[in-house]
Amino acid sequence: MKLRAAVFTVLVVGFFLTCGPVRAHHGNSAYDESHWITISGTVTEFVWSNPHCQIFMDVKDDKGKVVNWAIESQSPGIMRRNSWSRTSLQPGDQITVTLAPAKNGAPVGFSGNADGKVVFSDGRILKMSNR
Amino acid sequence: MRSRQWIWIASSMAAFFAVLATAPFSSAQSEPPQAAAKSSTASAPGPKRDLTGVWQLQGGDGGAQPIAEDKDMPPMTPWAKVKFDTQKPGYGLRGAAGGNDPILQCDPIGFPRIMLMPTPNELLQVPGRTIQFWEREHEWRTIWTDGRPLPTDPDPAWFGYSIGHWESDDTFVVESMGFNDKTWLGPTGYPHSEDMRVVERYRRVDHDTIAYDMTITDPKAYTKPVVTPHRIMKLKPNEEISEQPCVWSQENEFAQRIRNPATPQQK
Repeated sequence: MKLRAAVFTVLVVGFFLTCGPVRAHHGNSAYDESHWITISGTVTEFVWSNPHCQIFMDVKDDKGKVVNWAIESQSPGIMRRNSWSRTSLQPGDQITVTLAPAKNGAPVGFSGNADGKVVFSDGRILKMSNR
Repeated sequence: MRSRQWIWIASSMAAFFAVLATAPFSSAQSEPPQAAAKSSTASAPGPKRDLTGVWQLQGGDGGAQPIAEDKDMPPMTPWAKVKFDTQKPGYGLRGAAGGNDPILQCDPIGFPRIMLMPTPNELLQVPGRTIQFWEREHEWRTIWTDGRPLPTDPDPAWFGYSIGHWESDDTFVVESMGFNDKTWLGPTGYPHSEDMRVVERYRRVDHDTIAYDMTITDPKAYTKPVVTPHRIMKLKPNEEISEQPCVWSQENEFAQRIRNPATPQQK
């Protein structure tokens, strides 16, 4: 049993050792990249522009109040290499987005690295970065 | 027998995690799965003395990469430390929302920082020079290969002055100087002086791969050369350089709609 406990410890410690350094230094400090969240709602605007494309979407909070979220993605060049185009999103589209929320609590988030993604109503998934 | 199996599993896992934990750069540089459409010549030798093509820096998790890890930066001189303390980055150990990164107001990102962006560059060789185009800022530089020396007293420039030569059939060496001191070395806010000199080595490991190394010598700012981590660039034969200029009106709109709302009020 001691050996099993040792294996478990190696697995857990190993997991944190490998996750920590890779993620630690790349994030924009405005976002909490240690707590990714998923929100669902209706697209209100898709801005295809440098420096980073932007998604705006209405999301109902837990009290039923509609909040307009602003989501930072990547440059059009990088988005295009990840199968996006300027017509990928239209106002009215229902989507689910995985993002790192702003640390200050504002309805703003970042979805532009390998942890972020957009799921469309037909089940398609597009990411904004493949690295 | 069972306990032997557990010992074997435990030691294997320990070794596996030890390798991963001590090699964040090599793991970050692995080829992304979406880029799997390799040509059949991918691992064949590359053409001799030829880097023509669109190249994508690997690693970085979709974002800009630091010039080097904080722990690998050499000691700064007092002159550089003063500059460092005034430069408030959005990334890295000193990272805080807001800050004063000059690229947020569309100052040219400059060299060598532009080499560490997640957007590709294209190399073209013509007689007497190699031209490097960058998607970032839709910018370019000339690397003179006609045998001229570096200038003795160039005007300080955002992208400096570069000469290059083939050290061997697979290794192109570029020497650069003549920089202004307004740019940062990367998103984590390390400074440099006008005395900075940069030596880059582009070694074509195989048809689709360049091993890219950089050494920065700047005695006014650092007590020893900055040696950057080994990086990999991959050939992207089906990709084109698109434009990513910094446009103040777009940058301003982005700040108003995304960056500022996500930034805590400065106290």
